[in-house]
Amino acid sequence: METTDFSQPIRQSSKGIIVIFAFKVFQFFKKFFVLLLAFGVSLMRRKSFAGITPTMMLLALISVLIVILIIAILKYLNFKFHLSKDDFHLATGIINKDTTIIPKSKIQNVYIKQNFLQQIINVVSLKIETAGDKKSEIEISALDKATALLLKKQLFNKAINQNVNTEEIEVQDERDVFFKITPKRLLLEGLSQNHFKSFLLIFTFVFGLYTEFKDYVRELGLRKHIEDIVNLDDDTILNLLITNALIILAVVLFSLLYSVIKTFIINFNLEVVEHQKTVEINKGLFNKVSLSLTPSRIQNLVITTNRIKQYFGLHSLSVKQAMVNAKQQKNFNIVALEKVQLNYLLKKLLVNYNEEEGEVAKPRPYFMRISVLEMLFFGVIINAFTLFLFGIEMLWVNAVFVPFAALYVYFAYKKAYYRISDDFITVGSGVIDTTTNILEIHKIQGVKLKQTIFQKRRAIASLVISTASKSVTIPYLSKHEALSIYNFLLYKVESQDRDWM
Amino acid sequence: MNFQNLQIETENLPKVDDLILKPISKSYLKIITLNKLALYAGLIAFVFGLKYLIEEKESIEINIWYMLSVVFVFCIVNFIISILAFKKRAYAIREHDVVYSKGLIVHSVTTVPISRIQHVEESRSWLARAFGLSTLKIFTAGEAGSDLSIKGLPHLEAKQIKEIISEKINGND
Repeated sequence: METTDFSQPIRQSSKGIIVIFAFKVFQFFKKFFVLLLAFGVSLMRRKSFAGITPTMMLLALISVLIVILIIAILKYLNFKFHLSKDDFHLATGIINKDTTIIPKSKIQNVYIKQNFLQQIINVVSLKIETAGDKKSEIEISALDKATALLLKKQLFNKAINQNVNTEEIEVQDERDVFFKITPKRLLLEGLSQNHFKSFLLIFTFVFGLYTEFKDYVRELGLRKHIEDIVNLDDDTILNLLITNALIILAVVLFSLLYSVIKTFIINFNLEVVEHQKTVEINKGLFNKVSLSLTPSRIQNLVITTNRIKQYFGLHSLSVKQAMVNAKQQKNFNIVALEKVQLNYLLKKLLVNYNEEEGEVAKPRPYFMRISVLEMLFFGVIINAFTLFLFGIEMLWVNAVFVPFAALYVYFAYKKAYYRISDDFITVGSGVIDTTTNILEIHKIQGVKLKQTIFQKRRAIASLVISTASKSVTIPYLSKHEALSIYNFLLYKVESQDRDWM
Repeated sequence: MNFQNLQIETENLPKVDDLILKPISKSYLKIITLNKLALYAGLIAFVFGLKYLIEEKESIEINIWYMLSVVFVFCIVNFIISILAFKKRAYAIREHDVVYSKGLIVHSVTTVPISRIQHVEESRSWLARAFGLSTLKIFTAGEAGSDLSIKGLPHLEAKQIKEIISEKINGND
């Protein structure tokens, strides 16, 4: 294999033209989609629009594509990068020449991605992220995989070298695949997701369509049709019930399917690779991503599971890192881990984390009062809504709603807890899902005590703990307890002088 | 072995609750009042505007006194709350952290360790300049939740605090 020399300015792989071209075309259509659609429709209708015939339209389109192609080629020709000893240099721009220099030590993340098109033509894109605003991101959109890996390694090598750790690089070559997902587990993961949200979303959507459609039918139909609807006899009620039940069933199936497909696309071939110090995640069907986790940069860990998932031994671990943009943050999610694997990863990412350390404490029962109030509020809205829409008979929804609300309050309180040990804070929450938030005390950025005027009389307060990537709330503690935690955390952070990153 | 693991007596830790927080400058109340008055004037103007615009077109009679009284009650309650809340705005700079408390209905006390501060900024609106005040903004690397913005500090004091904090941040490195 020929090794690429990065010390001289080089272009990306010539396939880059295709990638840039495709991207530009996509962007163009995205921008003018509505306009084009309107134009197209009016053309279809009238055959000509202000003297423009479909042929002219087609010609215009082709010429636009050619212009985009020329721009893509020019862009490709003017895109050159190279590495010096300490910096990464990049020259871009067709008319306005831009030269970007990034010191290797300032590079925060290097991602290797591959979208669908890139998979077909067998190139990868390499993304360099620095601290600071989103504009400082650099993407090289077409490199062959070996070059990209080499470049990534070289970019990181120097950066790591400065922190004096040469052994790491040598060992990094050893790939130890720690976890690889099987399709079966992925299927289970998709099926056992919390469908409530997607269900509600799709349900309202379909219901809306259905009522719209009914209106439509009513408008089109004869007066007799309306009379039919007004004079509801037993038969029509049954019909209505069956249609409604069918709709609900379809929605349930659809949301299941939706979750499964989504899980498959995002997490296809999920693979967790263990290195000496870091952990690497590879996944994706259409968009292949490869990310690495660095323990020092991790701010929060969120573990999610639920009853059904627990039964199958499925745990999701989402890692919140500092200096990662929001879009990328979503990808740091490992699904369908066994309990053992999860614990192993936790140990790896959080040194000295011990699940049993520290006392488990619960929020004050005031928590339940708030949950009850929430549910009451929700219930009033639902009742008002149904009363308004369907009349008094529909109040039977309460028969469904009240037990649901009771369960909600019960589980919300049951699953809420917090545990503070010497180095870690663990906060549990969730209703359907069981969520566990873990953060290291020395990574805290700020602490906030919150108390509403109603809580003052009862001496209850909540604590909000912020790290560089997420805020975690410990709800409704006694004020005394909250203050002593507050003081303890500040003491820990301020007396240790440890870096948060 | 030189390892010590002393038990930490939580009772003996420095307490944020014992801290005497310093209220912000009284003149800031004037700024609040002016801002609120502008808001109320806008609201009332909006009610009148609504009346004349809609009545011309839709010929629906709107009881203007009814609406005005609602707006008035809202304004008065809002004003009283914001004056009471003003008293809750207080801050303190300790050796290792900055404490800021505010809010009447939702009272919050936020503490940011100085070692976590990324940068400090002092900003002044034209109104604040007229009263010799300024706003001190303290940014951490964290989410917006842990950033502080202390409004209504005397200009000189804000400058001093800014310098103290900057010095500490840079001194630690």
